[in-house]
Amino acid sequence: MPQHEVVRDLGLDEYKYGFVDEEAHVFRTKPGLDEQIVRQISTHKKEPEWMLNFRLRALRIYQKKPMPKWGGDLSSLEETLDQIYFYVKPQDQMERSWEDVPANIKTTFERLGIPEAEQKVLAGVGAQYESEMVYHSLKEEWESQGVIFDSIEDGLKNHPELFREHFATVIPAADNKFSALNSAVWSGGSFVYIPRDVHLQTPLQAYFRVNQERMGQFERTLIIVEEGARAHYIEGCTAPVYSTDSFHSGVIEIVVKPNARFRYTTIQNWSNNMYNLVTQRALVHENGTMEWLDGNLGSKLTMKYPSCYLTGEGAHGSIMSIAYAGNGQHQDTGGKVVHSAANTTSSIVSKSISKGHGRSSYRGLCKVYEGAVNARSNVECDALLINDTSRTDTYPYIEIEEKQATVGHEATVSKVGDEQLFYLQSRGLSEEEAMALIVRGFIEPIAKELPLEYAVELNRLIELEMEGSVG
Amino acid sequence: MPSTRGSLSILEPAKTIPALDGRAVDLLGRGAPDWLRRRRRHAWSVYEDTPLPSTRSEEWRYTDLSRIIDLESLRLLTPDQTDPGAARPDILAEAMLEDWAASGHSVLVDGRTVHIDLDSDFGRRGVILTSLRSAVRDHPELLKESLATAAIPPEQGKFEALNAALWSDGVLLYVPQGVRLALPVRVTRWLSEPGSAVLTRILVIAEAGSQVSLVEEVLSEDLVESTLCSSAVEVIARDGAQVQFVCLQRAGRGVFCQSAQRTLAHRGSSLNTLNVNLGSSVSRVDLNARLLGPGATSDMLGLYFGDEDQHFDHNTSQDHVAPNARSDLLYKGALDGHGRAVFRGIIRVHPGAQGTDAYQTNRNLLLSDDARADSLPNLEIEADDVKCSHGATVGQLDADALFYMLTRGLSRQQAERMVVLGFLGDVLARLSLGGVVQKVTRAIEQKLLAHG
Repeated sequence: MPQHEVVRDLGLDEYKYGFVDEEAHVFRTKPGLDEQIVRQISTHKKEPEWMLNFRLRALRIYQKKPMPKWGGDLSSLEETLDQIYFYVKPQDQMERSWEDVPANIKTTFERLGIPEAEQKVLAGVGAQYESEMVYHSLKEEWESQGVIFDSIEDGLKNHPELFREHFATVIPAADNKFSALNSAVWSGGSFVYIPRDVHLQTPLQAYFRVNQERMGQFERTLIIVEEGARAHYIEGCTAPVYSTDSFHSGVIEIVVKPNARFRYTTIQNWSNNMYNLVTQRALVHENGTMEWLDGNLGSKLTMKYPSCYLTGEGAHGSIMSIAYAGNGQHQDTGGKVVHSAANTTSSIVSKSISKGHGRSSYRGLCKVYEGAVNARSNVECDALLINDTSRTDTYPYIEIEEKQATVGHEATVSKVGDEQLFYLQSRGLSEEEAMALIVRGFIEPIAKELPLEYAVELNRLIELEMEGSVG
Repeated sequence: MPSTRGSLSILEPAKTIPALDGRAVDLLGRGAPDWLRRRRRHAWSVYEDTPLPSTRSEEWRYTDLSRIIDLESLRLLTPDQTDPGAARPDILAEAMLEDWAASGHSVLVDGRTVHIDLDSDFGRRGVILTSLRSAVRDHPELLKESLATAAIPPEQGKFEALNAALWSDGVLLYVPQGVRLALPVRVTRWLSEPGSAVLTRILVIAEAGSQVSLVEEVLSEDLVESTLCSSAVEVIARDGAQVQFVCLQRAGRGVFCQSAQRTLAHRGSSLNTLNVNLGSSVSRVDLNARLLGPGATSDMLGLYFGDEDQHFDHNTSQDHVAPNARSDLLYKGALDGHGRAVFRGIIRVHPGAQGTDAYQTNRNLLLSDDARADSLPNLEIEADDVKCSHGATVGQLDADALFYMLTRGLSRQQAERMVVLGFLGDVLARLSLGGVVQKVTRAIEQKLLAHG
């Protein structure tokens, strides 16, 4: 069988989260965006005046900034944005107990395996449905140590000073067009605070679900990791498959204080009609460590470049990403590391698989400011092309102003080699098994960093479809 | 002036100075055939319709033209005047003395050919080496087909349009099928007029199975006003031809050297380039290598050493249009003082270009606290059976190597010089043009020494 048939379905194409629930919401704004809608959102959230003003200012910035001309094809986005609902409130209040979550929403998350996961391996779980967090819980042992894991709205309400001190300091509204948009209409997301020297042994997880057709989700997450603290946060996303496009634009701000260590894992598996334009950035202080683990499997177009601003001496940033682009998908992802202090180190490892007419692009920045002596950074990008119609691009930006810095970037592009396949087949593997093994080997360095259930899921997807392609 | 082979005669002196505007197009076109006048006028209209690239455009992101040159204020030298004395400074004489081993020479002063010679044996075998102005009269069919058409049409960009509209002269090198020139053709360009715009072109056509190399050197003293040295280099290697193009840029400070180069490599040909940037205040090279036939190869080498406030911007692209072609790019540079280098390279593997081998490497050495290097090695791959890789590094002097040499009694200065030479020498080791390697090495050594 020709190779392209064997790999027709590597498994990541079949979307099992595409089911739709009946629409149910207590309030939603009319489609499109204007000042009135921003005011409505703020009123519904009973926000302080400063936040309303922040939103309105951001709206003006958003309206003024042009659509980016780089990255993916955003030509039909403007039209999409005129038609989507910017705010859909699924229920009146957020629940602390799983029992109290409305039955229809509960069923959705149960189908996605959320409560099960919570019991087993997580320190806390948050679930967002449309525009609001519908559920948030944190295990007692962490709560008693002062850990805060809440919806962003409750963060603003219950911890106003801590919130205001950090909010929009890592990613100002004017950072880019979509951070401005998010700043104007944000809703949902997590507020996380890890007190000094607290080490969370198990991850916190937030789950994002869009059910409503033509929906825009704008979650906003603010995470503060105090000195010497350690934690891991996991974010997962899915949506039903509709014929019209939906839109997701999150802003994730993280402050990693001295000697703290934080990991943020994303498994993005949006349906293939989702624009996913996200700004994620961490400010890393002295000897702090920030790790982004970014898996992009779904969406129509993703533009996302997790960033580490290494502002304290000895800070370390790491970005590991894996992207899969099947037919009709463009994953424009990568990472940014900005060194502005001495002895800072960073590493970016990016792997992508393009299949069918899929396109994956690595876009990254490595910037070393003058004075960041002994800064070291290394970037590695590997791309695997499955078909002759697949496409891959690499667009790194390397800007070095410091003499005593060492920076390297390497990228390779390859296809699954006939010799590799032949070798494995001569050892008794079928062609499908051989292909799956090679693909698994390719993503293994990143897959092994994933929480076990996700790693298993990823491998299972690949294997399952290999079986399906026999004959 | 020490003579090379043949006598150096001043053919055409020059010097009225109208502004850089539409009238200049007519002035330059005076007496030219219709087709050329039309082309110049068309190019001028493209120039006028094309805005000056700003740092908002991806390709000019790190080079702010508005702070480098004011095109409106530049003056154009006309055919009628030249100061013959300008053709005889020591640097020019010395540079040419080094170039005695050649198949032919062309010398241009302020954009006019003042001397040209070709080994008569090659002349008899149909090789053409002539000034572009003479070529308009003597070889119009070659120019009509290939000058500013297939390789660098005016639509390519602002400077490409400007050059196509206002070129004053240049070089045509034509090598018939199967003719092989063992020694390079040397082109030496001298600039003497501060505040002027000097625009020239080089067109090389190597027919099937031929072999030729052309080495261009750009020279001037330091000029007090901002001066534009614009060149467009079009190199066509037909099936199986072996062609090398080398540009050694040693202009003085005050000069903005802008060079657009495009190489077209047909089936089984090899078309290699080397760009050495040492001089000028600002230099910008746009090099596009197009692999148009199966089995074509292009080695693309680059070297730069910047100091004070020199700014070198390299914008390269490797277009794999045909399958089974190979391209390999290596650009290395060292930066001292406030020197700044930009490398933006892209490998494009077009759909259907299976079996492509394409590589791209940029390495930078920062020698001072104020030096800066920006590197953007890009890939766009639309075929799956390819071998592509790229790498970029920015680093400092190898401390172990320095230490080793210090323990052997070298001064820090000597040791640093050697490490830099070794770093850059890598590139020259890949060039198979004897005399040229020595010349470039000497030029680098001179600049390193001047550094103290």
